[in-house]
Amino acid sequence: MTQTDGGKPLLDCRGLEITFNPGVADARKALDGLDFMLAEREFAVAIGSNGAGKSTLLNAIAGSVSLDRGTIRLGDRDLTRLAPYRRAGLITRVFQDPMSGTAAGMTIEENLALAEQRGRRRGFRAHLNPSRRDRYRDLLRTLSLGLEDRLTTQVALLSGGQRQALSLLMALISKPRLLLLDEHTAALDPRTADIVMQATLDAVRQTDVATIMITHNMRHAIETGTRLVMMDAGRVVYDVSGAEKNSLTPEALVERFKIDNDRMRLNG
Amino acid sequence: MDILTAFFNLVPITFAQSLVYSFLVLGIMIPFRIIGFPDLTSEGAFPLGGCVCAAFLVAGWHPLAATGMAIVAGALAGATTAFINLRFRINPLLAGILVFTALYSINLRILGRSNVALFNIDSVFDMISPNLITSVPLQIACFAVVLGAVWVLLRWLLSTEIGAAIRLIGVNPDLAPSLGISLWTCTIGGLALANASTAFGGALIVQLQGYADIGMGLGILINGLASLVIGETIVGRKTVTRQLLAPVIGAAVYYQLVSLGLSLGLHPSDLKLATAIFVLLALGLPALRGGAIQHERLRV
Repeated sequence: MTQTDGGKPLLDCRGLEITFNPGVADARKALDGLDFMLAEREFAVAIGSNGAGKSTLLNAIAGSVSLDRGTIRLGDRDLTRLAPYRRAGLITRVFQDPMSGTAAGMTIEENLALAEQRGRRRGFRAHLNPSRRDRYRDLLRTLSLGLEDRLTTQVALLSGGQRQALSLLMALISKPRLLLLDEHTAALDPRTADIVMQATLDAVRQTDVATIMITHNMRHAIETGTRLVMMDAGRVVYDVSGAEKNSLTPEALVERFKIDNDRMRLNG
Repeated sequence: MDILTAFFNLVPITFAQSLVYSFLVLGIMIPFRIIGFPDLTSEGAFPLGGCVCAAFLVAGWHPLAATGMAIVAGALAGATTAFINLRFRINPLLAGILVFTALYSINLRILGRSNVALFNIDSVFDMISPNLITSVPLQIACFAVVLGAVWVLLRWLLSTEIGAAIRLIGVNPDLAPSLGISLWTCTIGGLALANASTAFGGALIVQLQGYADIGMGLGILINGLASLVIGETIVGRKTVTRQLLAPVIGAAVYYQLVSLGLSLGLHPSDLKLATAIFVLLALGLPALRGGAIQHERLRV
């Protein structure tokens, strides 16, 4: 299911365990011995109620929370003890909050340049030059948001949707091996969310980058991705792909797992 | 009219001094404005630069080498403040206070006593021209060239990939890891660079005045902040170039204002009170007017 061609998976998480507030009365296992694998080119959509451990899983993969137990490998590399900034060349993220994925006080071109240099050794080369600008202009054109004429605009002046679309470009410009999307359309109005989601699908299809996307939107969960993973209490409780995933309906999914979470929406 | 004549006569020499103090103001501006780290280390790094330079000069070192050692010492002081903040998660202000307090004792150890005269020892200025100490136009020309070189170097550095990473730390530090930027490297490097500039200013002042004094850093941080605020009021801080020009222009105006104040009869010992009130007004007025933006930007 998670393996392709009998080869090794791209992402291999074994026995991940994270407890928040250990030893205290409200200690909570955010990840409870979780195993998770993802193949090259696979697009997994993760759903589950609040506190199921979806975001914690992404944080663990990106390195922004540390594991109590378990190992994380990506390709040939053991990431388990690698500092988050050293993982950035391999794994990129788009966050839910448009403010946190971009640097507001810098221009669009500066943001793209910073993103492009991730994973490479930064040196005393010029941060921006005409050829980089041309490339950024072409990239921005693919968004069809008119940002290609606003390279020197401060990101602070962009709308949430524009910032989120820029975050997406920034996540892909350094050609990561794994893309993590943490409810990246949840903070947007429905129309903008659809635009950003469409841009996401186009970009993922074009680059074939392995992707994990968290969503609370059942329609997105059903319609996008090649695989659907449901989490509960720090474990994967349901994992489908292929024909079985394609035959899922939102109603059936909600019914089957009795999801009574108000953030689960049938039509978002 | 006598008062004004006295002031006008002092304008050139004050300007020459303000060029040297520009290194200090640059060293304050970089952490505060570019890295978003309210760094107080300069209160100790400035006399550190002076004391280290004086001690090596007395020990018979070449003036350039002595000045170089002062720069290295300043960089170490800045790196220490950054390390204390990062490793022990101590508030930036407190980390700076710890370092400049410790530096007071260290400076005294380095200097050996509370002040040292360098009258019969060659300085970097004697290397350039024996007349430099007495010729104000020559001083202005010389300092302007050195300051211009450092300024161009800083401007270039901030336009490189490394410089952009350092600037990001000041704009959105939480984003740094996901852009592959090490908060540690950039903070330590940035503060080292800033305090190297501050210590360089201290080393130059000591060689210009011909003596080093343990108390030369007292209140220097507030002088620098006052200069910075004045400069930013004049040229703004919208672009990196303007942000870098602000310390130089601010220092030039601030030290003329001080000179004017002294000519008008302000007691030298009241100068720090006057400067503190000035900085308070400059930073506080926007908040009183209801615009809290400037206030927030200082991140103190």
